[in-house]
Amino acid sequence: MKPDVDLTLQLIAASLMTEIGPKISDDYTQRNSMLTAMLLQMAAEEWDRAAARRVEENRALRRLFAEAAAETHDPGLRARLEAASREEEEGFRISELNRSNDGLRRLLIELHSHVEEVDGEAARRIEAAIWKELRISTERRAVSVAPF
Amino acid sequence: MTDLAERFARYVSHQWPEATDIRVEGLSRIHGGASRETYRLQLKLRRNGVAEERPLILRRDPSGSLIETERATEYNAYRAFYGTEVPVPEPLWLEEDEQWLDRPFFVMEQVTGCESSPQVLLTTLPYSQHIERIGEQKWRILGALNKADPRELGLTEVMPAVEPDQCWEQELQKWEKVIDEDEMAPQPIGRAAIRWMRRNPPPPAQRISVVHADFRTGNFLADGEGNIRAILDWEMVHLGDAIEDLAWSISRIWCWARDDRPGGLLPRERAIAIWEEASGLRADPKALHWWELLANLKSLAIWISGGHEYATGKNHDTILGFTGWWLANSQNRAILEAMGHLK
Repeated sequence: MKPDVDLTLQLIAASLMTEIGPKISDDYTQRNSMLTAMLLQMAAEEWDRAAARRVEENRALRRLFAEAAAETHDPGLRARLEAASREEEEGFRISELNRSNDGLRRLLIELHSHVEEVDGEAARRIEAAIWKELRISTERRAVSVAPF
Repeated sequence: MTDLAERFARYVSHQWPEATDIRVEGLSRIHGGASRETYRLQLKLRRNGVAEERPLILRRDPSGSLIETERATEYNAYRAFYGTEVPVPEPLWLEEDEQWLDRPFFVMEQVTGCESSPQVLLTTLPYSQHIERIGEQKWRILGALNKADPRELGLTEVMPAVEPDQCWEQELQKWEKVIDEDEMAPQPIGRAAIRWMRRNPPPPAQRISVVHADFRTGNFLADGEGNIRAILDWEMVHLGDAIEDLAWSISRIWCWARDDRPGGLLPRERAIAIWEEASGLRADPKALHWWELLANLKSLAIWISGGHEYATGKNHDTILGFTGWWLANSQNRAILEAMGHLK
């Protein structure tokens, strides 16, 4: 689609902020239009990266699960980690990638909770890898207008 | 708005049958009151032959909000603190009968000539030249609020009791439940924080205090001379551990100046010292760390809940969708920072 979706959203946001918004006399509605413009800016930012960041994260989680499975002694969890690490994307629609991501992040919570209760260097290595992945996950989702 | 103004005028007539020539002018909705619909208005009438004009605030329950709270609790807090060293607007009426305005509401005095927006307070004259003064008052007032005896204020009769060693669990359970019920995607950072908090509970509260629970830059009114004239937004008020309030007030997400100054106002150590002196309580570092993490988790729960309301159609107020998207990731980063995992 041309013009690109992100550019279109940015232009609509700019129009709301500089042309339409200032002409709205009701204060509440005017502020709502400004918030709507900011939402559109965030949507524009998300548009271009949406698939890439989900694919990247799902791959990173599968790699983490493959490494963790080798160190996990709980047979049930180990089997789930191995199965998840071998999965491939069913499709590349955002909704499909979200479904995979939700499943993988649920398993991440289970793994994290498990290793916290296990002693030993291997458990600490997995835990450190999980924290690193969680930190990177917030960088992938970073919103440029966010306060922190 | 005309209909709402006329209906409100009828309500005033019911409350003050001696009043005549009742008029409601300039009724307009205020932006940002995400937990209740908030309107400002000018009430004009005559009583005993004398003309009166009162600027008022009307807070009406919404159909869905960032936080679901009892308006009676909020109203009781305003009533308890009115006339004390914790400045609040004068509360006038609490009305739970839906016949008047379709939903319950309460009415209070409008404090005029003031500003609450953090962006305006921190960057716009005349407010921005008084940042330090505003900061000193902010934490002194919070200390006074936390020092106040809830029994003497009559609040122990209208708020659930809690034991000093149960304060932390009450709040953790409350906000974990919100995440359980409203999350639309797994929350690995929030869940890790919850597990850590359960494994490392804070010391018991030094005493049971009134906890405002949303005391931050943005929820008070300051005038152009740098005087804080009113503490607002008491919808989450409860009895509990005062450290909860201190932790919330210095939370990372409210560092509006995009530096390390809590609330964009004062250095952290100074804010804590002022609060300690005013409250007579000690900000134990272990307790403060736990409650700062709770503050981050609670904020995350609020953004999740607001996003859920927006997405499920309970309330399509743009602010709910905006905050859910704008702040949730920042909040996760703040949790990582508080847990020492951001580096």
